[in-house]
Amino acid sequence: MSLNQVLVFLLLGLGSGGLIAGIGMGVVLSYRGAGVINISVGAIAMLAGFCYWALRTGDFGITFAAPWAVTLTLIFAIVLGLFFEGFCVRPLRRASPLAKLVATLGFLLSAQAAVILAFGESARPQPAILPGGTVLLFGGAVQINRFWIFGILLAITLLFAGIFRWTKFGLGTRAAAENEANATLFGLSPNRLSLVNTVAMSLTMGIVGLLAASIQSVDSQTLPLMVVPALAAAMFGSFTSFGITFVAGLLIGMAESLLTYFETFSWFPTSGGPGNPIPGVQELMIFVILVIAMLFRASRIPGRGDIIDRRLPAAPRPKAPMKGAIRWGALAAFAIWALPYGFREGLIYSLIATISLFSLVVITGYVGQLSVVQISLGGVAGFTVSHLFTNFGIAFPWAGIIGVIFAIVIGVISGFPALRVRGVGLVVVTLAATDAIQNFGFGNTTWGAGNTGAAVPSPSIFGFNFGSNATFHGLGGGEPSPLFGWFTLLLTIIIGLLICNLRRSGLGQEMLAVRANERAAAATGINVRNVKLIGFAIASGIAGVSGVLLAYSYGSITADSYGTLVALNFIAFGYIIGITTVPGAVQAAVGVPGGLFAFALLDWFGLQGNWLSFVGGFLLVLTLIHRPGGVALDIFYGPPKKPFKERPLGRMIFRPSPVLANGAAGADVTEGTTAGVSS
Amino acid sequence: MTTVLSAQGVSVSFGAVRALDGVDLEVQSDQLVGLIGPNGAGKTTFIDAVTGFVPSRGEITLGGRRISGMAPHDRARLRLARTWQTIELFDDLSVRENLSVSSRRSTMVSTVSEVLFGRPPRAEALAEEAMHLLELDEDAERMPNELPQGRRKLVGIARALASKPQLLLMDEPAAGLATNESLELGRILRNVVDSGLPILLVDHDMGLVLGICDYIYVLDFGKIIAQGTAEEIRHNPQVLAAYLGGSTSEAVATAEAAEEAAESEHAAK
Repeated sequence: MSLNQVLVFLLLGLGSGGLIAGIGMGVVLSYRGAGVINISVGAIAMLAGFCYWALRTGDFGITFAAPWAVTLTLIFAIVLGLFFEGFCVRPLRRASPLAKLVATLGFLLSAQAAVILAFGESARPQPAILPGGTVLLFGGAVQINRFWIFGILLAITLLFAGIFRWTKFGLGTRAAAENEANATLFGLSPNRLSLVNTVAMSLTMGIVGLLAASIQSVDSQTLPLMVVPALAAAMFGSFTSFGITFVAGLLIGMAESLLTYFETFSWFPTSGGPGNPIPGVQELMIFVILVIAMLFRASRIPGRGDIIDRRLPAAPRPKAPMKGAIRWGALAAFAIWALPYGFREGLIYSLIATISLFSLVVITGYVGQLSVVQISLGGVAGFTVSHLFTNFGIAFPWAGIIGVIFAIVIGVISGFPALRVRGVGLVVVTLAATDAIQNFGFGNTTWGAGNTGAAVPSPSIFGFNFGSNATFHGLGGGEPSPLFGWFTLLLTIIIGLLICNLRRSGLGQEMLAVRANERAAAATGINVRNVKLIGFAIASGIAGVSGVLLAYSYGSITADSYGTLVALNFIAFGYIIGITTVPGAVQAAVGVPGGLFAFALLDWFGLQGNWLSFVGGFLLVLTLIHRPGGVALDIFYGPPKKPFKERPLGRMIFRPSPVLANGAAGADVTEGTTAGVSS
Repeated sequence: MTTVLSAQGVSVSFGAVRALDGVDLEVQSDQLVGLIGPNGAGKTTFIDAVTGFVPSRGEITLGGRRISGMAPHDRARLRLARTWQTIELFDDLSVRENLSVSSRRSTMVSTVSEVLFGRPPRAEALAEEAMHLLELDEDAERMPNELPQGRRKLVGIARALASKPQLLLMDEPAAGLATNESLELGRILRNVVDSGLPILLVDHDMGLVLGICDYIYVLDFGKIIAQGTAEEIRHNPQVLAAYLGGSTSEAVATAEAAEEAAESEHAAK
């Protein structure tokens, strides 16, 4: 290793570091201007990148020269910003920070699906807009475009820092963020300020999308998921400082570049033989950086003085769950036997997704922690099942049980950040954790699947195979076997009933007390830390069961089966239908991509699953605006009751209290009279 | 009488600001003790320090047991209950659940029994009694946000009572109540104390505090500046100068009105 080479790779990192810093600036602009922790900023840059690509390559029918393509792309970014403000930001101005973040998730999913539907999944090499060529520095060739990216984004950073520090607009934005009501009294319009900031964010993302063209191909994943390191950079800047965010973003990019250099050395850990550096180290590093940023900088994030409703959707007590389980369970059992194999496969996937969403019902609906990592925990269990069989010959049921236990252990560990951060902070940390687990864990050939997939044996007991490849094929014929479907259904019903019982139990009440008000919960004697960790353990166990079933369902698993996009889709559909109730989870699972509804769309109308993600993203935002509790809440539990009519306290009765009295005589007051006041 | 709460030299600092400075305070059994003081005097901070929600220095004992340094939930489990100025109910739980979550602790056995076999949580006599006591029976299945402010305050008090506390700390329970409601609340608190539960009452309503408390502490700028019975406090020149200021006569008149109202009801009875 030579110092010169290290310096060269650090300079090469200016490119990706600049992009991370640019996306980080978008995060800061969204937070300062509109109070939104916007995880779709990278997706907006991606849309701009595809727009430029299409304009330059003639994909829209006309080929534009670079200046015109750049201009039209920036106009497109402005229009996108106006749409984003009108659709995602303004209607949710009074919503909780978590609801706002989830809305940006909806936009992200729709944007990604739109790009895949319009341009396909393959990466498109973009026509570069920055000058090519290299310069020799420290004995190595460094592309000039790296310095252009650095310079342009530095200029934008200084511009925003100056505007926010020295102009009336910046002062107004800061005032509105501090106290929206008072800012309104002084003649400022929070709506207008939010609009200008959102358009500025979108325009900046347009520039980032254009700049990205010079150093990488445009695809549906790279720029959208670059929001994870950008969030880490913004966290260091406490979501307010453009300068710190820029520097942190640059450093993260340079560190990633340095890791690429280190991968060329023999001492770097390998996976799958010499010459194959262990994958996902960069994602793991970003996760660690984010956790550090969260631990040391989260408390410095200024609270906003928005007028908002902070409540999560209600989690009402289940009504007659056994009756519902028998009715719907019988219908599902019949469908598993009677449906053609494609529909049966969709139904079984929906049942497995139901169990996944049950874990979100527990951790989000009951404990109030929105964790993205649940689907990855399913993957932990699934890969454990695969490797226990491959490496040790351990099969069903012990492999599944050990897999679930392993998921619980990892889940409880992942729950520790929730003792310090909650709400949007936890979403950000667990999003990074999901990305790290997918790349570092599942992409690894030693304990994951590498690029191929990991084999999973069919479940059988006493020689009786009831896996998806069992010989019994039911009325519809073909695989997966109805036997595996019934087994999955049985587990779904049991877990669903247990979750209903949990909601009604004392522990469930303590979870909801913690969700509602941690301070008041502690004041009534509830150990908030333990309740949260128990919640994480239960939810992780449930997620583990779903992961094991998914592994058995396919007979082979890949990293993508439990990836970040799957997790985000599950959360989106969970939120649309109802993430706080068992019936909500069941219905949401029918709609998830890969589920029963998705197969029906494909079979009947030829619509791919991406259409579901595209529509689902928009539906998610509309749900947050019009039905914040999810659709199922109103269907199953009716609209919220109206406030009770006030009665004066003067009619209160004070009765003798043998239980409450500590050995003293009870009080002696009856209706309409009171005991004397002694003083 | 025995000492239920003893606070010796309790100090709390927020950065350079000394919110409490060596406060000594005691609450005896069967006693309703008032803690009054102007805005920013440190009254709520004192309750927060006793219940463990802010780090403090000094010695705090509850029923003779040292509780300084304990976590808030551990103090609560020693039957130290509090109410909040901002009520702080569990909005996702019904009124009955709000009370029952306070009156019992889940154990491994009870949780397994309730989750695996679907057995409903045991109806807690304390929760039912507290609900009955404050006439909340018909609101038992309602959610807190369906109740008006006054009744929400009652739920907060009932929730504290449902834990069968050995001491109840109340942070401005009369805030936002009409005068007649405040007087009625005062009578209820008096009766709760007479039934054997000592209370430390923090409130701005001078009529309420001077009218019902056995003993009163006056806090100003984080220090106790006076203590004594209502009569002693009412005529304490230091209190009049530092706390009551220009509104002395009004406060005293309110307090006297409260006493007169109580006496007339005695006579009627």
